[in-house]
Amino acid sequence: MNGKLYWKNKLPFILTNLFCMILMTLFLLACGNAVAVVEMILIVWVLILMAGMGIAYRNRKKELQKLLTMAEGLQERYLIQEVMRLPERADDQVYYQLMKMAGKSMLEQIGEVRRERLEYKEYIEQWIHEIKTPIAAMKLLCENHRMDFTRELLLELEKTNRFTEQALYYARSEHTEKDYAVREINLIDVVHQVIADNKYLLLHNKVSLEVAERMETVYSDEKWLRFILNQLVANAVQYRTEQPVLRFFAYQRQDQVILSVEDNGIGIPACDLPRIFEKGFTGQNGRIMQQATGIGLYLCRRLCDKLGVGIMAESSGEGTVIRLSFHINCLICEVQE
Amino acid sequence: MEQKLMIIEDEPLIRNELRTLLASNGYEVSAPEDLTGIVEQVKAEEPHLILLDIKLPHDSGFSVCAQIRVFSNAPIIFVTSCSTDMDELNSIMLGGDAFITKPYNTAILLARIASLLKRAYPAHGSEQLKYGGAVLHLDSGMIAYGEQKAELTKNELKILYYLFKNAGKICSRGDIVEFLWDNQLYVDDNALSVNINRIREKLAGIGLENFIKTRHRQGYTL
Repeated sequence: MNGKLYWKNKLPFILTNLFCMILMTLFLLACGNAVAVVEMILIVWVLILMAGMGIAYRNRKKELQKLLTMAEGLQERYLIQEVMRLPERADDQVYYQLMKMAGKSMLEQIGEVRRERLEYKEYIEQWIHEIKTPIAAMKLLCENHRMDFTRELLLELEKTNRFTEQALYYARSEHTEKDYAVREINLIDVVHQVIADNKYLLLHNKVSLEVAERMETVYSDEKWLRFILNQLVANAVQYRTEQPVLRFFAYQRQDQVILSVEDNGIGIPACDLPRIFEKGFTGQNGRIMQQATGIGLYLCRRLCDKLGVGIMAESSGEGTVIRLSFHINCLICEVQE
Repeated sequence: MEQKLMIIEDEPLIRNELRTLLASNGYEVSAPEDLTGIVEQVKAEEPHLILLDIKLPHDSGFSVCAQIRVFSNAPIIFVTSCSTDMDELNSIMLGGDAFITKPYNTAILLARIASLLKRAYPAHGSEQLKYGGAVLHLDSGMIAYGEQKAELTKNELKILYYLFKNAGKICSRGDIVEFLWDNQLYVDDNALSVNINRIREKLAGIGLENFIKTRHRQGYTL
């Protein structure tokens, strides 16, 4: 509370007292009282007034400070009017009422916006599921009637599918619910699936693949992992060099299984490296390529965070290594043994 | 014996294209257009494997699956565009054997069908393909001509398998590479030439000269 302003607000009250003092002094003197008596009365008056106002100030300050600390301690500060006591003073009660009204209308607004967002998310998910039927139909049509141009079409369909998946996971990642199922999966199966998903992209760009014969099993969500790897593969192809090579291998280090995706592409400049997982960050390469959205890796990071998977990027001028680290749950291992 | 698959899908284009795809891979396919009383049709046709869409006009795929399970143990693959975990769980609980989401990768779909069929109806005897006196043994990875035999690597076996399957037709290099990729062998164009040359050497070693012919700018043929 601003002390100076408080006393300024009290000025009319003090002036009233002063006016009363003068009137009383004049009256008492006119009645023939001794000056000493009048002085005595005035001193007592002033002392009582000062003490009274001082105590009132202190109490008020304490009370308001308590409210402030309470509000600061709250996680949802807009709920302060629900937590605080009904104030005793009449004017305070008016403010209290105003706060309640404001809070209620804001909650209504928020509720409305939330509902709209949820509906929008549901609509997006439904739309994506619907668009997959025509994509599937086109894919089948192309595969059944193989010609040179159907290969090109299949390449474009892969791209279409990747973008729709991106939209789906973007819509999902914004919401807190956990719509994934953790199961035992062999990394090699996921890697083969991802390569199959990007077959035409990889073949078209003449990417040579090196996939380890064996990989560890981990506990994670297969669909999410597939989405993440799809993004990584798409990036590796986008930022490729003359003779692109893509390597997948996994190894165990302490209590973690690391899946490493390596390419020999143009790499990431050291100054961009710390920021590549940020939303909307495209960096130097992105500016050159024009096609970067800054969403792919951001989504990878978000999904990894939700799955409890670590994701790291490393690039030393040439080529990029992305490592996904899965925690080995000792409990599961012990139970199985 | 040809194995019979049944496609239960309401989208006409997907149904027809799936039928074409599966028929061209050597299966007998039935794909009813009218899905009313589909359970009765399944009962009458007794397919070896069923591809079932979850979203059907009259009944959900889940309930169809449950009804089929009452009388049949044929493997059921759910093909769907809904990819929520709830759906996947439901499909497993109701007796579905696999769950494939649209847009399905045809290679994965075919592999899944083959492995489910193999598990449900174990074949007797080893698989082999014959052409022009040469016999390709798939299990042992050997090719035999008369008394002579040659061992093949994984890549070579798959290339020969594709050529044997398409014997008489011209197989373009692109198609062979794609087939290898579908079988998780990531061979590029150069490596394909190397592999073909090695196969020719091996074939010459067992007395098969000029078994694989090159069609200039088109591909290979047996």
